[in-house]
Amino acid sequence: MEYDNDRKALIMLSTIEGYNARRKKFDSVERPSELYVDYTLADKMIESMQRQGVGLITILDEDYPPRLKDIYDPPLTIYYKGERSLLNNENLLAVVGTRRVTAYGKNVMQNFIPVFIRSGLCIVSGLARGVDSIGHKMCVENNTKTIAVVANGLDICYPHENVALQNDIINNGIVISEYPLGTKPLQFHFPERNRIISGLSKAVFIPEAGDKSGSLITADDAIDQGRDLFVVPGSIFSSQSVGCNKKIKELQATIVLEPQDVIEALGYDTKTMEKKVVQLDFEQQRLVDMMKDGKIHLYELMEKSGMNIAVISSALTRLEIMGVIRKLQGNYYEIIPSI
Amino acid sequence: MLAKTKSYALNGVDGYEVSIEVDLNAGLPAYDTVGLADTAIKESKERVRSAIKNSLFTYPIRKITINLAPADTKKEGSHFDLAIALGIMIANEEIESNIYKDYIILGELSLDGSINHVKGVMPLVISAVQNGYRKFILPSKNAKEASYISGIEVYAFDKLVEVVDFLTGKSQVEPLKTSEFVSMQSANRYNVDFSEVKGQFMAKRALEIAVAGGHNVLMIGPPGAGKTMMAKCVPTIMPDMTFEEAIEVTKIHSVAGILDSSVGIVVSRPFRTPHHTATIPALMGGGASAKPGEISLAHNGVLFLDEMPEYQRRTLETLRQPLEDGVAVVSRAKHTLEYPARFMLVASMNPCPCGNLGSKTQECKCTPSEIHRYVSKLSGPLLDRIDLQIEVDSISYEDFRSTIPNESSKSIKERVERARKLQRERYAGTSTKTNDEMTNAQVKAYCKLEADSEAMLKNAFTRLNLTARASSRVLKVARTIADLEGSENIFANHIAEAIQYRSLDRKYWD
Repeated sequence: MEYDNDRKALIMLSTIEGYNARRKKFDSVERPSELYVDYTLADKMIESMQRQGVGLITILDEDYPPRLKDIYDPPLTIYYKGERSLLNNENLLAVVGTRRVTAYGKNVMQNFIPVFIRSGLCIVSGLARGVDSIGHKMCVENNTKTIAVVANGLDICYPHENVALQNDIINNGIVISEYPLGTKPLQFHFPERNRIISGLSKAVFIPEAGDKSGSLITADDAIDQGRDLFVVPGSIFSSQSVGCNKKIKELQATIVLEPQDVIEALGYDTKTMEKKVVQLDFEQQRLVDMMKDGKIHLYELMEKSGMNIAVISSALTRLEIMGVIRKLQGNYYEIIPSI
Repeated sequence: MLAKTKSYALNGVDGYEVSIEVDLNAGLPAYDTVGLADTAIKESKERVRSAIKNSLFTYPIRKITINLAPADTKKEGSHFDLAIALGIMIANEEIESNIYKDYIILGELSLDGSINHVKGVMPLVISAVQNGYRKFILPSKNAKEASYISGIEVYAFDKLVEVVDFLTGKSQVEPLKTSEFVSMQSANRYNVDFSEVKGQFMAKRALEIAVAGGHNVLMIGPPGAGKTMMAKCVPTIMPDMTFEEAIEVTKIHSVAGILDSSVGIVVSRPFRTPHHTATIPALMGGGASAKPGEISLAHNGVLFLDEMPEYQRRTLETLRQPLEDGVAVVSRAKHTLEYPARFMLVASMNPCPCGNLGSKTQECKCTPSEIHRYVSKLSGPLLDRIDLQIEVDSISYEDFRSTIPNESSKSIKERVERARKLQRERYAGTSTKTNDEMTNAQVKAYCKLEADSEAMLKNAFTRLNLTARASSRVLKVARTIADLEGSENIFANHIAEAIQYRSLDRKYWD
């Protein structure tokens, strides 16, 4: 791909730290190419971008995501790896939250994300630990495209343990960044990155967020940008739900209690999925019946069914493999809700 | 005159003959020991002189030269005292009979002439028997240990005088009676029992399977869930030690000097719990004299590593080779020793550094990177050798006022022994003893799956995110579950249960 001088100027502009500084310079001239005379730096950067398979969308491009363009401070450059057209998807939903996700938050994700995916929503998140990673992973495992917005150059992976996940997303989705290659994940990049997550999306969904969670910045951005904000309430004693509960208390967010709440609010049909038909034998059916009222501990199942441990653990594994139930932490079991 | 008495020295858990040559020469009174003796042997000079004098014999005022042959191996310990003292007295013509030449002599002397307890008698005697010796002079305090070996004459003494009287024919001493090896079948020597563990059915079942197939276990659960208690119960359901196993264990414990001399043999399976600050030599064996480490002391028993991720990573990694080969190789500048170390590894860990991850009542305060660091202390290759990983939860059993009976160790043990018998028959003639030790070829031969089980296993891998290395582990555990049931074939339900015990593979922490 060839870059003209305007785009080369934007590339060089992107090396300046701080959005306001970049913007000021950008606004000071008619065309960005008036800013620079010498483009050797840009040529060098383009060469390494092409070597690493990194593409660029600039604010001058036709296919710059329209929703993102509408926000107060749209990024001038979007470096990307993966499927470019995905950014113009109409049905983007940001899913962000705490990095220290609890069993509750995980549970929420397991119940909500599959429904979102089935309804045709595409998940946008930040590849951080916790909620972000789980959301991305669920998409990858489901073979669904997803968008990751990172706060560093695309040649770096932060946090490091997500290298494999990042590659999976590149292969089936897109990873984007406002920053040129080689940029480190500096602290102040993250709030800047968060505005892109909410800016791209139709709405922001927060399953779990602590008091000082970065996702609350995304939530504030979402409100500033006029996006819907959906939060899941949590226990008032859980430090990882303080953020969500605060948003509810401040009447800034829509409370969601089930995935349909989000989907209906966004005007989608709750697609009725064809029910999976699984053949259960007598014992398995009994176990499933006992789980009808919610999660249940292994011992209670043993007690009620009268099965011994060998029989019951074998039956439970089979049910798990069939995708009927799942094991929670602490030897609890529950039925996987089918929508 | 020159005298030659015979004794034995330790090399690992084996002994070799040392002949003690004593020569009295003209010259200024002196006492020289040659033959790479350590300080304890050199110091024998003082003990020997006082013991001879205080037993009212004459100590020769001559130049005494003592040679420990073979002269090129390093010898240590105080058990040559008695042989040296007798050698001096023979050279001094205090003892004129020749019968001493038939005896292997072991014992440490006290200044008053009494004979003290020494270390390593069992392995020394066994090695001597293998080399054709039949008669032994030992301290009475070690007599019990030697009495379990049949076909030998053991004469036990308390005082130097008694030995001299015996060798000169002044008194008649009867050889010791052979003790009968009584396995601990009759009595529970462990003070704990599985019936005392309330609830925890899944963990108990997993431990039963582990013992039945010789598998290693990792228990993951919050503090106070009863992990340590259950680990302590593991030896109670292990099959009784055979005499051969007991001898193997006794040899090691004797070398380490931790054998109870009043019993003389180890009858119950060892249960070793090294602290997590243990160093590599403490665990593997070593030190200047290459002593057996904790893993060898746990031979034929249980090695319990509580809070496994708290151990130094390097320390844990050294376990890999013994877990594979069943021996601990200790290499030192002077010698390389092999100690047997075929133990069952029972490990426990918290789900995260604070222990509350996944708890219903407590909140986990750990950061994701802390948890990541904590878990990554256990390397893949090490986890590879742990077949069963189970989740132990801290649920209060009383919550359910359960009517499910808590089985006693005795009835679990009966099942274990039946399963072990099947395995012995299956692997007769090979070096494999339990399902855990199966070679790849044996897994192929003995873990054949029906088409539906095969399909289920495949399904489980994709559905439950099992990692690839879990496959052969699941098969081995399924083999044991089938053995416990007395079933020749592995059926789908056996596979299904085996998968249940792969908590870590199921990406527990994600």
